[in-house]
Amino acid sequence: MPKCTIDGKEVDFKAGENLVTVAKRAGIEIPVFCYHPGLSVVAQCRMCYVEVEKMPKLQTACSTQAAEGMVVKTQSEAVKKGRAGTMEFLLLNHPLDCPICDKAGECDLQDNSFGHGSEFMRHSEERRTYVDVDMGPVIQKNMNRCIHCTRCIRFGEEVAGIHEMVAIKRGNNIDITTIDGKQLKTEYAGNYSDICPTGSLTLKDFRFRKRAWMLKKTPTVCEGCSKGCNMEVQHEGNVVYRCVPRENLEINKYWMCDEGRFNYQYAQDPSRIVDPMRKAGESWLVTRWDELLTALRNDSGGEDVLFLVGTDLTLEEMKSVQEAARIWAPRAAIRSFGTPGVESSAQDGPKDGILKMKSKTSNLKGAETLGIPPLLGAAKSTVVVVFRGGRAELPRIEAKKAYGVGVFLEKERNSVHAILPGLSFLEKDGTILNHQGTSQTLKRALLPRGKSKALGEILMLVLNQKSSEVNP
Amino acid sequence: MSTNAKTLFVQHFWKDSNRTLDYYLAEMNGYEAARKVLGGMTPDQVVEEVKKANIRGRGGAGFPMGMKWSFIPKNSEKPKYLVCNADESEPGTCKDRQIIRYTPHLLIEGLLIGSYAIGCKHAYVYIRGEYVREALLLEAAIEEARAKGFLGKNIFGSGFELEITVHRGAGAYICGEETGLLNSLEGKRGEPRVKPPFPAVSGAFSCPTAVNNVESIANVPHIIRMGGEAFAQLGKIDKSGGTRLISLSGHVNRPGVYEVPAGSMTLRQIIEELGGGVWKGKKLKAVIPGGSSSPVLTADEIDAVYDVEPLMKIGTMMGSAAIMVVDEDTDLVKLLLRITKFYAHESCGQCTPCREGCHWMESLLHKMVHGEAKSTDVDLLVDVAGNIGGKTLCALGDAAAMPVQSFVKKFRSEFDAYVKGQRSHA
Repeated sequence: MPKCTIDGKEVDFKAGENLVTVAKRAGIEIPVFCYHPGLSVVAQCRMCYVEVEKMPKLQTACSTQAAEGMVVKTQSEAVKKGRAGTMEFLLLNHPLDCPICDKAGECDLQDNSFGHGSEFMRHSEERRTYVDVDMGPVIQKNMNRCIHCTRCIRFGEEVAGIHEMVAIKRGNNIDITTIDGKQLKTEYAGNYSDICPTGSLTLKDFRFRKRAWMLKKTPTVCEGCSKGCNMEVQHEGNVVYRCVPRENLEINKYWMCDEGRFNYQYAQDPSRIVDPMRKAGESWLVTRWDELLTALRNDSGGEDVLFLVGTDLTLEEMKSVQEAARIWAPRAAIRSFGTPGVESSAQDGPKDGILKMKSKTSNLKGAETLGIPPLLGAAKSTVVVVFRGGRAELPRIEAKKAYGVGVFLEKERNSVHAILPGLSFLEKDGTILNHQGTSQTLKRALLPRGKSKALGEILMLVLNQKSSEVNP
Repeated sequence: MSTNAKTLFVQHFWKDSNRTLDYYLAEMNGYEAARKVLGGMTPDQVVEEVKKANIRGRGGAGFPMGMKWSFIPKNSEKPKYLVCNADESEPGTCKDRQIIRYTPHLLIEGLLIGSYAIGCKHAYVYIRGEYVREALLLEAAIEEARAKGFLGKNIFGSGFELEITVHRGAGAYICGEETGLLNSLEGKRGEPRVKPPFPAVSGAFSCPTAVNNVESIANVPHIIRMGGEAFAQLGKIDKSGGTRLISLSGHVNRPGVYEVPAGSMTLRQIIEELGGGVWKGKKLKAVIPGGSSSPVLTADEIDAVYDVEPLMKIGTMMGSAAIMVVDEDTDLVKLLLRITKFYAHESCGQCTPCREGCHWMESLLHKMVHGEAKSTDVDLLVDVAGNIGGKTLCALGDAAAMPVQSFVKKFRSEFDAYVKGQRSHA
């Protein structure tokens, strides 16, 4: 492998790698703004200066490829002066409103200013200000904070496949905006906020709700489709505040779609049913767990019983249903459901050529691996029991008695006659297989809401309940 | 035209009838050089001849033209492009305009030979938006040439084909920077690109491209006609062949476009002999020797020979050979403010030091002129210029920083007078 020297350390590199990447591997951080590993290199921010032997000027590490025998200094006086100069320029017109900025605490501008800038300001002129356009429901724009790194423009063009962010005017008057001031159209707009190195593009959904440093972070996987984008759930006090993508170069790289990003909202929707409930005439009554457990066991032991397993459940949950059914309802047919029209992985495939898949549930492949055949058409049976994570689309149910086990919102409850509340993907551990068959892990971020129980617990109680004193 | 003529261009200027194809064919051996090239020279031989001619690029950087052409990869399967930079945007420069107005066929023949040399079938002339009349004249000349079969398919029966498109800019200095020009030509924002890759590898439409100035290309027919060595010998100094068109402006008695053999005169001789000296009998204060971005010279420094290397030795540059003469009564702080305002206005805004710094320098100078500056602001101005110069994506940052640094260095007292309140805006 070829080698170069950075700050006296000898470092291996692959041909074509730039100095930011190579230095990072050696544990040397080079500050950047405009550079992003998932986007093209433009060398515009002029923050990543390094000194390269035999080159008279400072070089930008993002646009300099490592070469055999190259000797690089990242901490020389010239480099420090160059970076301090850039930091000073970037802050000339920045409002320095960190106390009221959502980005504070996770802001590249803040971090690099602390690391490479000066605590004094030599600029006393009036700052440049802008009037902001409405960018639609996802992104809040604050152009005064922008440092013109153009990551958003490049993300749109190179990743989301849409030319909607542009730079207009020039020089000191440059404005980063949407074409003709229109609202964003992409279904990947949340990423604009993730890649923005300042608080210029923030999520409306997250705005003013939590300081970044208060959030606990749980690495998990998105359940929005069969892609299985890696994401991080950021939460505090059993409330999720946002989800952001986690880097996985094999699956989602650095990105995720808005549908997946905001999918968490149903799990803390006030209309989610978190008490055991049954239908009485036209209305719904909160009831006791033991009543529903007994009824479920008694009703599903006979002939003509259909168990529906959502392809939004984990492998472990699906397997438990199969095993429990063998003892408790040996004559029940087991079928999977999830996305109408995408009943098998043969029907699944890329939806938009970016990330989204046709299957709107995460574990279609898992259901197939366990040999669960898909439900085709409506669910017709004397007794139907629906096991569901919360995302699988409910089929039409024609049954004398239908039970829902899992996550249901109020608007969904009339498909069944009784609901045994279960856990959403945020509240459980488990394994899912994405469309490629890659096994990935869901991690629990939240405690169960209300009186909901894990599916394993529900099945165990159905099989072995001795006492009527189940936690009501 | 005799090959012994001291000048190659100026004798044809200032007469409208000279721009016709008839004149070019009758009086200037028009298209003979192209006929000779297509009739029997290999592309390599053409490049070799241009190398021998020692012609430096006439746009500003002074890069040897033959060398530039030799960087175009020969075995690339991609189309290749020759792009003529007619953006002529450096303040003080007006020589390319004369070539397009009065000898457009020199440019077209040059493009024909150059295209043959690098294997281009479609050449572009990127002309500045303000040159409305020139763009029309050039298009008319291209039509004349096409009508005679000098452009199009199978030129001179050689099988070689060429089309030329005139592309008008929209008025941006930055589109004179070659990669900014290429972006604009492609219909993108006129912003310079990261180099490498250089245009010779990935230029217009991501294909190998040579970008040459109007005057450079218009010299090519001369080189072929007289031979590279004879052209080189027109120059009176090493490594610089041919003649130079000089745009002389400012406080001189006879401003205008002059042509001199490269390296044959000092700056003083040009100002005094060609320009007739400083106007109104005044004394000389300063000279901006190569377009507004070049470091300024004092009245004592003008005995240097006017060519690329001698000027480099005294810390300035020949640039586009646009000399601006400044008389003793000129307020240099105000002059610098005007120059800096230009660069701040023309900064494309993509890279940080230029976008933020040029405007800051303008603000500081504005405060000085209006008596609002602090005494420390002169040093601050120089420091800001230092944070721009050599640190930007393209040369515009340097172009903005160099005048500031040199003006303050050489005429510090004028700046101090403003910040100490001894002088103020009248």
